[in-house]
Amino acid sequence: MKGTFFKEFFNRNGPLLGTYLLLAVAFWIIILIVLPQLSMLDYSFRFNLPPSAQGGEKDVYTMSNYQHFFNGSEGNPERLSIFGYQTDIPFNKVDIAVFFKTILAAIFVTAFDLALCYPLAYFLGQSASGPSGRVLLLLLIIPYWVNEILRAFAFRIIFGATGVINTVLVGVGILDTPIDFIRENVALYAGLGYAYLLLMIFPIYNAIESLDRNQIEAARDLGSPWWRIHWRIVIPFAKPGIVSGCTMVFMLTAGALAAPQILGGPSSLWFTQIIYQWFNTGGNWPRGAAYAVVLLFICIVFVLAMMRLFKVKMGEIGK
Amino acid sequence: MSTGVGVDLDDVWVKFGDFVAVREANVSIKGGEFFSFLGPSGCGKTTILRTVSGFQEPSQGEVRIGGTNMVGIGPNLRPTALIFQNLALFPLMPIWENITFSMEVRGASKGERRKRADELLELIALQGQGDKMVNELSGGQKQRVAIARALCAEPDVLLLDEPLSALDLKLRQHMRTELRAIQKQVGITFIYITHDQGEALTMSDNVAVMSAGVIDQIADGRTIYDDPASPFVASFVGENNVFSGKIKTITKDYAVVDTPAGDLRAKIGTAARGKLQKGNDAMAFVRPEALAIAAGRKGKDENRLTASIKTEEFEGQSYNIFLNQADGAEIKMSLVNQGQAYEHAPGSQMTLSCNADQAVVLPAGALASE
Amino acid sequence: MRQNPLIKVFLAIYLVIFFSYLLGPLVIMGITAFNSPSFPKAAPWECLTFEWFSVLANDHRIMTGIRNSFIVGIGTVILSVIIGLAGALVLTQIWPKLRATYYTIVIAPILIPGVVLGISTLVFWGRMNAFLGLSDESFLQNGIFLTIIGQTTFISSYCMLVFVARLQRFDQGLTEAALDLGATHVQAFRKVMLPFLYPAMGSAAVLAFLASFENYNTTTFTFGKYPTLTIELAQKVRYGINPSISALAVIIVTITILGALFYEMRKRREAMAIANGAPASAVSGGGFKLPKMLAGNPAAIILALVLIGGIGTVLFAQAYNPQACKVEVREEKRKATDKRIQELQEKAKQRSLQEKLKGPDIFNQPAQSPVPPAQAPSNPGSGTFGDVFNPGNLDEGDAKKTPDKGSSLNPGSGTFGGVFNPKNLNESSGKGTSQ
Ligand SMILES: Nc1ncnc2c1ncn2[C@@H]1O[C@H](COP(=O)(O)OP(=O)(O)OP(=O)(O)O)[C@@H](O)[C@H]1O
Ligand SMILES: [Mg+2]
Repeated sequence: MKGTFFKEFFNRNGPLLGTYLLLAVAFWIIILIVLPQLSMLDYSFRFNLPPSAQGGEKDVYTMSNYQHFFNGSEGNPERLSIFGYQTDIPFNKVDIAVFFKTILAAIFVTAFDLALCYPLAYFLGQSASGPSGRVLLLLLIIPYWVNEILRAFAFRIIFGATGVINTVLVGVGILDTPIDFIRENVALYAGLGYAYLLLMIFPIYNAIESLDRNQIEAARDLGSPWWRIHWRIVIPFAKPGIVSGCTMVFMLTAGALAAPQILGGPSSLWFTQIIYQWFNTGGNWPRGAAYAVVLLFICIVFVLAMMRLFKVKMGEIGK
Repeated sequence: MSTGVGVDLDDVWVKFGDFVAVREANVSIKGGEFFSFLGPSGCGKTTILRTVSGFQEPSQGEVRIGGTNMVGIGPNLRPTALIFQNLALFPLMPIWENITFSMEVRGASKGERRKRADELLELIALQGQGDKMVNELSGGQKQRVAIARALCAEPDVLLLDEPLSALDLKLRQHMRTELRAIQKQVGITFIYITHDQGEALTMSDNVAVMSAGVIDQIADGRTIYDDPASPFVASFVGENNVFSGKIKTITKDYAVVDTPAGDLRAKIGTAARGKLQKGNDAMAFVRPEALAIAAGRKGKDENRLTASIKTEEFEGQSYNIFLNQADGAEIKMSLVNQGQAYEHAPGSQMTLSCNADQAVVLPAGALASE
Repeated sequence: MRQNPLIKVFLAIYLVIFFSYLLGPLVIMGITAFNSPSFPKAAPWECLTFEWFSVLANDHRIMTGIRNSFIVGIGTVILSVIIGLAGALVLTQIWPKLRATYYTIVIAPILIPGVVLGISTLVFWGRMNAFLGLSDESFLQNGIFLTIIGQTTFISSYCMLVFVARLQRFDQGLTEAALDLGATHVQAFRKVMLPFLYPAMGSAAVLAFLASFENYNTTTFTFGKYPTLTIELAQKVRYGINPSISALAVIIVTITILGALFYEMRKRREAMAIANGAPASAVSGGGFKLPKMLAGNPAAIILALVLIGGIGTVLFAQAYNPQACKVEVREEKRKATDKRIQELQEKAKQRSLQEKLKGPDIFNQPAQSPVPPAQAPSNPGSGTFGDVFNPGNLDEGDAKKTPDKGSSLNPGSGTFGGVFNPKNLNESSGKGTSQ
């Protein structure tokens, strides 16, 4: 069967073109996608050795990097407690807390974006056609083209201790002392929510746009209140778009690095920042790779869970 | 003009996985002939054409063009040009570039190409319109451009896949005549595909009728119409009334079939000669225009059939009466409109007559579905 | 649609809030680029200035970053378009049973966190390098190479999606027709398929370049000795801010807006052409008139306005001199500040009296943004000044720190202003990352 596939493939494309297609795709899938991921996985099971010792007899597989994620470094006084029962298992409270905080915050940001974007996507998809709709779309697109760093920077200007909000609030006399939005993570969440807003709007918008207006009219005609129209007709129809948007926003938020680095308060670490530290200041690459594997793993689980839960196919994501 | 190059299919099979799209096709097309494949949608016509043009390798058997076996020769190297079912004109090129694309890939100079384009544009009556884009043409004009583009490649065999199906009736009839004229003019072999029997019968020297991947009959239009080789052909080409039953008596050329409308004596189809015996299930076919209302004394070769009247229908030049046989099978009778009155009460019995030489007996078999 | 007025009001409010959230930050950032205080601020407005643009132009690292970004961007565009095109073509031909799996694999890089892509690229090519026995300085370990490779991994997926969308409208029959007319496979591809894909290639290239240009997560692991502009920006934003970043932002935003508008305009034109039943090139090639293009094409209108505005600004900047305004503002501020200081000193005295009565309560609050003691001397005679003065320190700093290219009114102010404000921010981000 495979033989005939290749034969047909070359029949259709000719030798030169067929070779280009196969080589380019093979390079992409094997060299760029699969091997690096496998390599990273393999690397995460190694000790952090100096280059000279790599490949030597000490270079054996180990779980230590993952153990570190769960149990912390040796001599870690924290112990896991399950429902209040203290156990003897050492417990890397800092990293695991950051991990869960990142996931929770990403979910929160996703939900926030969904709530904020759904009405606009609906409005754009159903009511705003013609030039005004196109202008709104354009206004939506422009910030998306602007560098992520600069978007975060803009939030820093707004929320900084001497930023616009504080200056105005203090100037007007509402506040006595500036609020430290950065420390309170307000800036971080606002910035993260901002960063991937568009990836929420467009899939939903695309889905809703193709919804036949008559369906809504018919439902309204039958006396359905507006919330029921949304619940029973619009949302089920836009489901693939919603899932696609939520998946993208969640993944990008959980994997964000720039916004937490720029907008994160002193006490807030994002999981990617820990990874970053292992690679830079921490100087322990295998451990960083292990943490990256953990992040990748949770992201895959999340995508699969979303798709299973909402019965959406892979083909609908990324449209 | 040249006499053209012949095309032979020798026991050709085409399979897609387990699905057999073409079964045991044996066709011999003479050079310079206008040959049609006729059959219902999905019967494998396009597949045969793609096999000839080289887009589809036969799973078995041999395609020869001008006597040369075409195995392993790609579509760009075969002396054929295909006019696609949807024309497949290049939307990003002006008309003249479309027409001379085959010269462009051979590296002909621009001057040469323009000159040839002008000649061909004249042939298809589109002089001076070479710089238009494809989307600026009407359906019939696109059609003609597609033909010119194929002719420009100077093929030995021109393959046309239902090129007229997208056109309206008037234009289609006009294009039929034009196609035939062009074929006469250039004198190359045309292989034409259609599911429209009128098209096949009017234009072709020979027609192959296909059903579900099998070629049932190859003959000229008259033979196909008058002497079909199978119940499928009989019922697919033109309208036909079916009278089924067992053979009562049989001679060398004629058989009597015991039908619900009464005994029917009919000529045995050429393809069925020697294959029928007394007691076999058979079908007799009578065209609507071969039926008449019985009058006077029964002639020597005349059949008398009875059926009950269902409805009547006025169709301008003709006037149709629909009847039911005793088992419910329908009969259609077509009378030339001579100002007769409608006087037949539905449900009443009527006696019909038809000549034995205008009825054909074949072994029972699958009919063409509506 | 029947709509009651209340819903309309809510809708309007919602739209205003939404678009303020979306565009407000960019506008405010844009304003700061033209405001004279050396810490990027939109309010209070002081003096219109263009000096941040020249500060930017003299920033060596930014300029190198831009150069690196361009090299990486071009490399990534070339690779991604080539790969994405192949990926899309294979998707249209692949054996149906394999299609879903194939699609999942090639779309995965979009969903894999950028950080992970960066790390895996770094690790894989590092090992490849070791495996091949090359030195640490080898090509495979070169920051530009790694960055291009890392970015190509996922940008190819974007490009592929662009091509897939276009290919869905391609009639495979056209390629067959070309072959049938005697073209070789390569000729058929070049003369029939490629021209059809040109618009998509343009879109894909623009998309790829922008994605590459702004990428941070992947690049931050792979850049090696060749920091791209985004990396330099991130460094600057994290470790010290002045409005020259805003100035850069204004430039980038303007360019991206121009790009986005241009892109939109082209897409719109294409859509219009298709609506009219003509291929895009037919329309652009034929007598396409400018006014007609503007009509009903908001992108084109905005593009024209932005261009005019930009040219106007540049011309104005040549002629404008903010010096007078600056002196004035400085003067005003100094007076206001003096007054304020006096007031506050009064207050401080009172408070320090109160403190003696109930101390901890008050200490806690102002400690949030500590002022290094070293700066106290500039205001002799107030030990508690730093703490208490917090809300006002902005005005203070700005009044004095306005960079004056050498000639400073107040000898101490240069260092004071320069150190004080960025320090404030450094604190928080410094902690944020050094934990
Ligand atoms: N590439 C293919 N793979 C699998 N099956 C195919 C393929 N091409 C054609 N078939 C099948 O072969 C049969 C014949 O197809 P073909 O296109 O030859 O029909 P056709 O006679 O040209 O019909 P139409 O008049 O509708 O064009 C159909 O049942 C079709 O589904
Ligand atoms: Mg067909």
